Amino acid sequence: MNPEFSLRYCSMHFESTPAPPITPMLRTVFTLLLVLSNLTTVAADNLQPRLTVVASHYPLAYFAGRIAADHADVHLPMPGGIDPANWRPGSSGIRMLQRADLLLLNGAGYETWLAQTSLSRARQVDTSSGFSDRLIRIEQAITHSHGGSGQHTHTGTAHTTWLDFSQARQQAHAVAAALGRKRPELKSRFEEHLQALDSDLARLDQNLEALSLQYQTLPLMASHPVYQYLARRYRLDLVSVHWEPDEMPPGSEWDALARTLKQHPARLMIWESQPRPEITRRLTQLGVASVVFDPCANRPDQGDFLSVMQRNLQNLKQARESISAVLQK
Amino acid sequence: MRHDFYLAWQYLRHYRWRSLTLLVCVSLIGILPLLLNEVLTQGERLMLQRAKTTPWLIGARGSTADTTLAALYFRDTAPPVAYGEINRVEQSGWATALPIHARYRIHQIPLLGITADYFDFRHLVPALGDLPGFIGDCVLGARAARRLGLGVGDKLVSTPDNFFDLAGLVPLKLHITGVLAATDTVDDEAVYVDLKTVWIMEGLGHGHDSATTRAAPTGSAFTTPETDPASAGAADAVEITPDNLDAFHFHGDMERYPVTAIIVAPHDDRAATLLGGRYVDENLPVRLIQPVEVIRHLMHNIFRISTLFNLVLAGASGAALLALMLVFALSLQLRQGELDTIELLGCDHLTVVRLVMAEILLILLLAAGLGSIFLAYIRHESGILAPVLLDAL
Repeated sequence: MNPEFSLRYCSMHFESTPAPPITPMLRTVFTLLLVLSNLTTVAADNLQPRLTVVASHYPLAYFAGRIAADHADVHLPMPGGIDPANWRPGSSGIRMLQRADLLLLNGAGYETWLAQTSLSRARQVDTSSGFSDRLIRIEQAITHSHGGSGQHTHTGTAHTTWLDFSQARQQAHAVAAALGRKRPELKSRFEEHLQALDSDLARLDQNLEALSLQYQTLPLMASHPVYQYLARRYRLDLVSVHWEPDEMPPGSEWDALARTLKQHPARLMIWESQPRPEITRRLTQLGVASVVFDPCANRPDQGDFLSVMQRNLQNLKQARESISAVLQK
Repeated sequence: MRHDFYLAWQYLRHYRWRSLTLLVCVSLIGILPLLLNEVLTQGERLMLQRAKTTPWLIGARGSTADTTLAALYFRDTAPPVAYGEINRVEQSGWATALPIHARYRIHQIPLLGITADYFDFRHLVPALGDLPGFIGDCVLGARAARRLGLGVGDKLVSTPDNFFDLAGLVPLKLHITGVLAATDTVDDEAVYVDLKTVWIMEGLGHGHDSATTRAAPTGSAFTTPETDPASAGAADAVEITPDNLDAFHFHGDMERYPVTAIIVAPHDDRAATLLGGRYVDENLPVRLIQPVEVIRHLMHNIFRISTLFNLVLAGASGAALLALMLVFALSLQLRQGELDTIELLGCDHLTVVRLVMAEILLILLLAAGLGSIFLAYIRHESGILAPVLLDAL
C-alpha cells in the first residue's frame, strides 16, 4: 500500500469528525510504520523459495514468466531451434521435469512423451483443459518427414491452441490459477500480473479479429497443418500442405499444389518461418505470395511472444495490402 | 554364597547341553506371552500409523479389508477400479489422488505400479540413483534391494509369480534406476514402477519394434521356473530402451484401465466433507474407504483372538512349568548319589539345598537375559512386525 495514499485517506477520515491535529512528528512515525510494514511483507515474500516452473513450449513459459515475475524460475527443457512438439526428454530432461514444482502442459496431445515418462500428476497443469470440448480433431493424418527430424504424423488433435488468442488467454488464466494454488499468499500479485498479460492478449485478439475482416474473401494456403485454431477463430479459409521452409518440396508436391489451387485459388501461403528464396520464387510464379506467421513454439532469437505475434500481424497486414495492390492492377 | 554360584556354574557348564535345553525352555515359557503382546502392540502401532497417513481410499465394492491391505500393505488382492476415477477426484479440486496398482509380485516381492506422486506422499527418496524416469524403469525399496541382491544399473526381469493368471503377463526387463532410503515400513519391501509399465506388462500397452515383438505371455504350466532373479525369463523379456521407447503406446480408453485403489488426500476438512458426499450413493461401482477404521476393526478382531490365544498359552505355559518342575525333581533323584557324596565330603544339608537353588537361579537369570535380548531385537526390528502380522492374517 502506498504510505502517502494511506496517510491522505486517514486524514480525510479524521476530517469528518473533530480530531486532534496530526503533528509532523506523528505523521513521520506513522509513515515510518507503514513503510516498515510494507518492507516486512516484501521480505516475507522474498523468503519463500522461488518456484521451479517447467513449460512444454515457449508461449506457456512466457505466460508463466509474466505472471510469476520474480517469484519463479521458468524453464524450457528443450534446446532452441527445435519444435517442442517433436521434442523427447532425455535423462537430463526428465530430471528437470521431475524436479519442477509446476509442469505447464499445453494438452491437446501436444506432449506425446507423457505416455512414456514417469512424472508427478499432481504437478502437471493441462492448460487447455478449460476448452477441451472445443479442441479440433484431425481426421486424415499424413505421416511425413522433413530434414533430419525423422517421420512424424499430425494425428489426433490439433495442438497449436495458443494461435487462437482467446484460447491463449484461457491458458494464461490456467497458468495463473496453478501458480496461485502453489503460492496462495502471492495470489493477488499473480492476478495483477495476469491482468496486464490478459490485456495484451486481448489486444492481439481484437487486432487480428479486425485484420481478419480483410481476409474473409481470400482463400489461403498454410505450409504446415498448425494453423487450425487460427483459422477457426478468425474465420480464415485455409488449406494446409506439409511443407518445410528450409526444404524444397519435390515435384509431386508442386503438382498437388497446382491441383489444389484450381479448387482453392489462394493468393497467399502462410509459413512458420521465412521459406528458402527458390520456394518463394516458384510460389510467386504460381501467383502465391508468402507470409510468415511464426507460431513461436520455441523461444525466439529476438523479442518475445508478444513482439513475435505483433510482427505476425504486421506481416499479415502488409501481405494483404500487397495482394490488394496486385489485384487492383 | 559366591562358592555356591561358582559350583553351580561349573555344574551347568559340565552338563552344557542339558543346561542349554533347560535355558531355552524356561526362556520360551517366559517370553512367549510377552512376545505375542509385543508383536500385537507394535503391529497395531505400525499398521495404524500407516493407515492414519492414508486419509481415504477409493476401491471397488467388496471387501474393504482386501482393498486396504492391498493398497497399504501390498498384501492380498482386491477387485480393480477404473483409473478414470482419479479424474473425478482431481476435477473436484478438493483432493490429491494417487493411483496404486498392487496386484503382482516379482520374485515374491510386491511390484507396485504408481505415479511419481506416491514417492512424495510416502516421503520416499532415493538413497542411491534416481527415481524412475521412463516406462521400463524401476526403483527398489531398501529391503527389496537386499533380498534381490541388485542395485542401480542392474536389470530385473519381471517374471510373474502368479501361474494362475490365465491372461499371462508380458515379461519386462526392468532397468533399476535407484534404491530408496530405508523407512522401516512396508515401503522398503517393494519394487516400484510407473503405472504405465504395469499396464504394458498386462498387455494394455505395447511397442511395434522388432525387439519388443519377442514378448510371449508367460504363466504357462509348461514353463520351467528359473532361479536367478536377474535372469529368470530373460530370454522372452521385452526391454524398453531409448531406441524403442517411442514405439510404446496404449490402446483403448486409458480411463478404463485397472488400478487396485486410489489413495485420496483431501486438501482440508471442508473438501473432505464435500468429496465424501459424492460417494454416499450405494449404486456407485466404487466406494470411499477410511483405512483407519478398517485397520481398527481388523486389530480389534486380532486382539479378541489374541486374548483366547493368551489363555491357551497360559495353560500351555503352566503345563510346561509343571513338566520343568518334574524334570528338576527327577534330575535331583538321579543326582541323589552325587548329593550324598557332597554331604559325605562334609557339607551340611543346607549347603546342598543352596547349591541346587543356585543352579535354578542361574538358569532363571540366564533365561531372563536370553529372553530380554530376543525382545530387544524384536523391538529394534519393529518394522518387520507389520508384514509378519499381515502374513499371519
